[in-house]
Amino acid sequence: MIFGLRFERAADGALIARLHGEEIDLLRQLAGELTQVLEDPSPTDPVTDRLFPHAYLDPTEEDAEADWQRLVHPDLVTTRMSALSLLVDTLPRDVATGDVGEAHLDEEQEAAWLGVLNDARLALGTRLGVSDDDDFDDVAPDDPAYVAWQIYAWLTALQGDLVSVLLSGLPGGPVEE
Amino acid sequence: MAANAPTVVPDTVEELFRDEVVERDVPWVVLVWNDPVNTMLYVVYVFQKLFGYSREKATRLMNQVHYEGKAVVANGAREKCEIDVARLHAHGLWATMQHDR
Repeated sequence: MIFGLRFERAADGALIARLHGEEIDLLRQLAGELTQVLEDPSPTDPVTDRLFPHAYLDPTEEDAEADWQRLVHPDLVTTRMSALSLLVDTLPRDVATGDVGEAHLDEEQEAAWLGVLNDARLALGTRLGVSDDDDFDDVAPDDPAYVAWQIYAWLTALQGDLVSVLLSGLPGGPVEE
Repeated sequence: MAANAPTVVPDTVEELFRDEVVERDVPWVVLVWNDPVNTMLYVVYVFQKLFGYSREKATRLMNQVHYEGKAVVANGAREKCEIDVARLHAHGLWATMQHDR
């Protein structure tokens, strides 16, 4: 366990991330899996649909949808790929299991971390078929998806820490717990 | 003023323009749909970050998405809405656009 905040705003404006060695390894692994999904997308994969939804639901806007996809889709892929590279490049290196590594992130890097954490949750949540009523506490330890649920819950907590810090810097200030 | 002027008199001119006139005159709206993955605070953050909304407005829209299934989060010309939808998709929100009718 890391006691205290895993993300913190430094006086110079940088975002400090503090993660255990095993968390860093897991993030690197998740980033690798997301990169594969983006580089070799399957049209029947629900994760692809979730990361890249349609803009128009109206079937009579089929042409507008096609134009929009043609214009926007390559940019959305590029943005996600650069975020993955930025995260992997800024993950602390050579941190042993149990030790804590620190990353100091600028604005672009912190946006990349937030984006990857969210994309990883979207991908894993889609694979697990998460619904509004699901609760990790209901998943039995002998469930084949137990580890995936654990990772999902960890990502949720990690992203929650990051979002708290980011919300503190916006109008309205810190969110009351 | 047109014959079908609103019968409820707004408190201020600003309120009249903000809620009634603006939304009726533009042809496209951007909707965000509820999804089981994105957390409530993350959605509030995205609404504030992308649209510059106050914490109160962003929270109200997030609650509408969560409890009613969807909310109109932006409106305007088709091109502007297409950009808004792309920005929301880049942040992992499930957004679509349609004619406001």
